[in-house]
Amino acid sequence: MKLIRVVLPAVLTLALTYALNRSWNLGDPIPPLGKFLDPFHGFWHNAESAQAGDAELSIPGLKDKVTVVYDSVRIPHVFASNDDDLYFAQGYITAVDRLWQMEFQTHAAAGRISEIIGSATLDYDRRQRRLGMIYGAENGLASMEKNPVSKAMVDAYTAGINAYIQTLSYEDLPLEYKLLDYAPEPWSNIKSALLLKYMAQTLNMSDKDLEMTNALKLFGKETIELLYPDQEQVGDPIVDRPGEWKFKTTIPDSIPLAVPTELIARKPFEKPSPDVGSNNWAVSGSKTASGSPILCSDPHLTLNLPSIWYTIHLSAPGCNTMGVSLPGSPGVIIGFNDSIAWAMTNAQRDLVDWYQIQFKDNTKSEYMSDGAWKPSRKLIETIKVKGSATVLDTVTYTHHGPVLYDETFHGESERAHYAFRWVAHDPSEEVMTFYKMNRAKSHGDYMEALNYYSSPAQNFVFASVSGDVAMRIQGKYPVRRKNEGRFVLDGTKTSTEWKAFIPNEHNVMDKNPKRGFVSSANQYPVDFTYPYYVTGSSFEAYRNRRINQVLTAASNVTVADMIRLQQDNFHSRAAESLPTFLTHLDTTSFTEQERNAYRILRGWDYFSNIESVGPSYCEAWWRALLPMIWDELDSAHVALQDPTSFTTIQLIKTQPTLSFFDLVATPEKETATDLLRMSFTKGVGVIEEWKAKNGKEPQWADYKDGYIAHLTRQDALSRHVRHGGGSAIVNAFTRTHGPSWRMVVSLDKTGVNAVGVYPGGQSGNPGSPYYANFIDPWATAKYFNMHFVTSPDQLASYKFSSTQLSPSK
Amino acid sequence: MNFLKQTLFTVAICFILQYFLPWWTLVIGAGIGGYMFGNGGGMSFLSGLLGVGLLWLAMAMLIDVQTQSILTEKVAKIFPTKTPGLLFLVTAIIGGLPGGFAAMTGAMIKKAQQG
Repeated sequence: MKLIRVVLPAVLTLALTYALNRSWNLGDPIPPLGKFLDPFHGFWHNAESAQAGDAELSIPGLKDKVTVVYDSVRIPHVFASNDDDLYFAQGYITAVDRLWQMEFQTHAAAGRISEIIGSATLDYDRRQRRLGMIYGAENGLASMEKNPVSKAMVDAYTAGINAYIQTLSYEDLPLEYKLLDYAPEPWSNIKSALLLKYMAQTLNMSDKDLEMTNALKLFGKETIELLYPDQEQVGDPIVDRPGEWKFKTTIPDSIPLAVPTELIARKPFEKPSPDVGSNNWAVSGSKTASGSPILCSDPHLTLNLPSIWYTIHLSAPGCNTMGVSLPGSPGVIIGFNDSIAWAMTNAQRDLVDWYQIQFKDNTKSEYMSDGAWKPSRKLIETIKVKGSATVLDTVTYTHHGPVLYDETFHGESERAHYAFRWVAHDPSEEVMTFYKMNRAKSHGDYMEALNYYSSPAQNFVFASVSGDVAMRIQGKYPVRRKNEGRFVLDGTKTSTEWKAFIPNEHNVMDKNPKRGFVSSANQYPVDFTYPYYVTGSSFEAYRNRRINQVLTAASNVTVADMIRLQQDNFHSRAAESLPTFLTHLDTTSFTEQERNAYRILRGWDYFSNIESVGPSYCEAWWRALLPMIWDELDSAHVALQDPTSFTTIQLIKTQPTLSFFDLVATPEKETATDLLRMSFTKGVGVIEEWKAKNGKEPQWADYKDGYIAHLTRQDALSRHVRHGGGSAIVNAFTRTHGPSWRMVVSLDKTGVNAVGVYPGGQSGNPGSPYYANFIDPWATAKYFNMHFVTSPDQLASYKFSSTQLSPSK
Repeated sequence: MNFLKQTLFTVAICFILQYFLPWWTLVIGAGIGGYMFGNGGGMSFLSGLLGVGLLWLAMAMLIDVQTQSILTEKVAKIFPTKTPGLLFLVTAIIGGLPGGFAAMTGAMIKKAQQG
């Protein structure tokens, strides 16, 4: 009896302790509650106050002392005495602020999220594996490590991250590790390679080959050219030098287009948002008030917390550069040094092809190529899944690349195997580009740095203190025959394959054009006289023209003018379409609410500002209209893509009786006028519903409800933000995408001056005052000064804290 | 009186243990408290619950004040607790319960030894 009275509470104590020391999954995952809530080591420990003292750390692996000064907005200024220490320290301090994000993003790239989350993300992981993300990263790593300079750079960065990871015990782990109950693994060079491939996936994996192939079969060639023209007859190419492309090209013989006989019924994988785009430009000294060039950067990405960017200043003998870095990759990616500045926008070029493979039998061990059976390679992917058994997935590789879809993965037809050819699978040396760019002194150095760059293809804008402005659309582009890359290709013939790549010196580029500026905003890259065939997933039609209009008209340009242009909310698409749309409406049949909406839209100045209500009505109408127009594409039940906004508007204006304007579901024959009327009613209804629900006028910022989500989509760690702008607007902030890093650099003779801001914060810790402190300044156009100095002493008056890193004996 | 002594002892020893060691060492601290002061099983349980619970609550509140509740509100929203008040309460209970049972075990061992 006595024994039971001892054993019972003892067993209870042990059972309770055990239960509170492990995670559970009761519908929602629950972290180990005892561990997590413990105020000594648990999540409470992650809360930080704004005060931070100076620190002196002794770290194994450093060669010499490194001084890191954090300025008042917590940007680290790193002063090292050699390159190895510089990148070691970059790795170390980036990990201090962003370790969880760095690891999570590379896990996402590699298809390893199920390890952390569980079986819900298994399909995502399999897709990443089958897309050959690791295969591409391994190829990237091999070339990165072949070059001694980039190898040293990446080795040092990796060592720095690991030096930090080694210091961590449970209490120091970032909050997300505690929430999801796992721990960081050692960093390795492959992770840096994976991150760059992840960027390539975000920016350069867009394609519509499967959709175009279906459209071609369903609608025929003529309709294809009407709905999906290669080149929309609009606007300003990035480089406009007609007749000046004076080089001989080698273009392979044309071959007949071979389109598969069956429709491709599978749903294509989730595409990167069409709002992923960017603006950049550089104005030459002839147009600026100071007489020095001004360069502007504004990459548009999905906005998350922690932000994709981390601002940093890296200084060592032979290198003094500042800008934003990608946590997980060494060097500065977008920024400036004491001689030059550079920035990127996405080039939109089609660098993805799909080859239909004919396998000999179900084993898929051999496939047809030029009349002979070729052996395939099988890669077994091991996917760990939290809370359940490890999943093995066999991926078949052909010489084109991996087969994404088969009967085990989103396979509707056993015959339709498509191998995936992607330029980012190839060996490449982007890390060298940034190493050299960070140290470039002149236009010549910039050109040399870019020669190392292959993927993702970008429009690199450039300006220098010596007065040059330039643009180069750099990437590794296959030399294509006309129409090649728009549709799926026949994988049984090598004649359909990429034969050659456009030589670097033939890439589209420009230097000091007469108009006094260079600019890019994801539009069509070049004038018609460029001898190579250019195709892309989509080219932007609006932002670029607005930017060029403003820059053409501008003179005596100042940094403040450039900030204003980055914040420009003029809705060109609405300005070009709304007047026409409104004339289609029969105003006599309006309800009271419709009359009110009509009046608002008529009176709207086409600026999508925070308080404007016009853009909310316009957006609701547009969202109602598109599905009515393209109902033919939905009802076909195969993969098809909607034509662009620009093409849609052109068709409404020029061919209002086109058969696509007929609603499939009704016996009547509708025209564009009918659809505009119906969608107007529907759109007004949506707005009225919104007004009733929210009890206020639909001001644009409220209606849009900008949202910057934490990478785990955990709402409590995310932020809503009121800000203007939108799709096809220079200030390209849609609900969840937009300007991820706004920077304006004035390349003055007396020294480079730069300002910038991004919607996030330097710290990745949700418990830090520096987690989201840039969001409000970002939303109100308050850029921070980037204190670009040459020694730590010059930062004395901006200093927040400093960390001295010393080699441990 | 012994109740108060045990509780204060539990607060002190658990503070020291947890300052250096993982959270579950509170079981050892509270268990010793239960053993040492000769309280009954029920009283010991209450004392352990209160001792560890108060310690955790006080530490959590201290951090909360020092950091202007920057993380308290976010984490409270992640869990069904929703409000910081409930999160404090849950924190105190999650620490307090094993503390209580450990103290009870300690008291029972003592009783068994005394025969």
